Amino acid sequence: MHALRIAGSTSLPRVAAILVAVAGLGLAGCDDHAGDPKVQIGANPVLPKLQQYLMPPMRIAKVVGWGKDEAPTVPQGLQVHALATGFQHPRSLYVLPNGDVLVVESNGPKAPVYRPKDIITGWVQSFAGAKAKDANRITLLRDTNGDGRYEVRTVFLDHLNSPFGVALVGHDLYVANTDAIVRYPYQDGQTTITAAGTKLTDLPGGPIDHHWTKALLASPDGSKLYVGVGSNSNIGENGIGAEYERAAIWEVDRASGAHRIFASGVRNPTGLQWEPETGKLWAIANERDEIGPDLVPDYLTSVQDGGFYGWPYSYYGQHLDPRIVPQRPDLVATAIKPDYALSSHVAPLGVAMYTGTDLPANYRGGAFVGEHGSWNRTPLNGYKVVFVPFSGGRPSGPPQDVVTGFLDANNHAHGRPVGLAVDRTGGLLIADDVGNTVWRVSSLRPGSSPKPAS
Amino acid sequence: MKHATITEATFIGDANSRPIRKRRGRPIHKILVSFSAAYFTGALVTDFVYWQMPDVLWERFSIWLIVAGLVMAGLATIAYAIDLAGRRRIDRPAWPRAVGYALAVLLALINAFVHSRDGYTAVVPTGLMLSGLVVVVLLVTASVAAFPANSRRIGG
Repeated sequence: MHALRIAGSTSLPRVAAILVAVAGLGLAGCDDHAGDPKVQIGANPVLPKLQQYLMPPMRIAKVVGWGKDEAPTVPQGLQVHALATGFQHPRSLYVLPNGDVLVVESNGPKAPVYRPKDIITGWVQSFAGAKAKDANRITLLRDTNGDGRYEVRTVFLDHLNSPFGVALVGHDLYVANTDAIVRYPYQDGQTTITAAGTKLTDLPGGPIDHHWTKALLASPDGSKLYVGVGSNSNIGENGIGAEYERAAIWEVDRASGAHRIFASGVRNPTGLQWEPETGKLWAIANERDEIGPDLVPDYLTSVQDGGFYGWPYSYYGQHLDPRIVPQRPDLVATAIKPDYALSSHVAPLGVAMYTGTDLPANYRGGAFVGEHGSWNRTPLNGYKVVFVPFSGGRPSGPPQDVVTGFLDANNHAHGRPVGLAVDRTGGLLIADDVGNTVWRVSSLRPGSSPKPAS
Repeated sequence: MKHATITEATFIGDANSRPIRKRRGRPIHKILVSFSAAYFTGALVTDFVYWQMPDVLWERFSIWLIVAGLVMAGLATIAYAIDLAGRRRIDRPAWPRAVGYALAVLLALINAFVHSRDGYTAVVPTGLMLSGLVVVVLLVTASVAAFPANSRRIGG
């Protein structure tokens, strides 16, 4: 009995000391305060040392929506108004030749649960407004008399499968569902399509379908379609087999539906645009998570034919990611450093090269980028539309904030910008998938005043 | 006859319960503890296989096994608390075992977070090491707890 008591009394403090030490280690690993995003902008972002976490930093903005008469903020000389409200998760926009605006209301397929983490992630994302009702349709808006009010609103195409990209070539309207490109016949002025679509080609879809949005862009001559196909994981945690032909930009032949990989190693290319001066393909991409608040910067880049941009093996050229085994030194050696970093976790999901004339001349030829906003970084980053000036077909300066106020002083999200488009008269359109609104930014001219929502 | 049966059960399964107390079989928390120990040990095996052959399937086995072990540990704690509430006093010999087990569960909880990372480093090296450490702590706890209890029984 005596011996026992001694054993009990000596082991308790020792064990307590170990417990405290372990808890201390855990807390020390949670020092996750982020640096200044400004040093991660442009051609040479500062890349801190890679960190791995017990609990990756998560910081989501509480969604409050837009109150009556509330709107984002624009610089002096511009005005913003709601083109239309009451959408269900508007994700991307497309302007038809007659000026009609297509609003793609979409949500991702249900994410499968492979690990306990997937349950937690789904729960957290529901707070950030990521899981709205599934509309999966395209709504058409029409301004019949050119006064900037869109009086006609019809369901253009319904019962789609997580659509995102839209492209019109002649009378063929292509919709990039998450699992296929579908072609519909379109006549000028049509406000609704009831004809059954014809599948042009399958795209990598389920059952995992981690990055489900498929951006779409037609070549200027209309012979090819370019498709942004995101990766099937953050960093290969679903196995490299799940990444077949993903994290890539596809070139699809419009006549045959055959495709080739135009560029690879781009984790999630969500916006594709032709640079107006050089005619080169540019893309925005979302980079990997969970290795620090300042890794890895998302980017805007020109896309080289046959280029490899690192994912999953490396980032920003040859910075190796230890989370992927076996490594591929042969591919890493060829990895291209993206042209222009937008800073970490801003989540660019929309890009529009501005060729209109309505906005001031300094915006012409540059790129607007819609930054959906971070969920795993403190302080929050993104939640705005920025403008990247271009000169000679290359970015020529730091980005300027153009549309802000999606996030208020209390870090509550009124909305989150996603897809962008330029309308027929040169206004910048912004899909807001949390505020469920389409905003229009235009020049403020003497005598003109913001128009109310239709 | 009845008295003899209880003594034998005590000797094999539960060194701490005393013949004078009326017990019907093993306490539920001990069954649950055995389950959690088996789950944690299974995770070490699947971690080892992943280390040798990094197919994500093995990493998924590991994290589910660890979580199942943690769930069992949680249920065991509840069952133990109910047991304690029903008793007049806490058995002193239970403490080394309880503390050792708590340490193993804490390490397994940290391991669950490590295993929730994405990619190879969810397992190698930290996850694999933690899985091994959990099993070592469980083994040490089992042997340390058994030894003084037996000596007490023999001595007393």
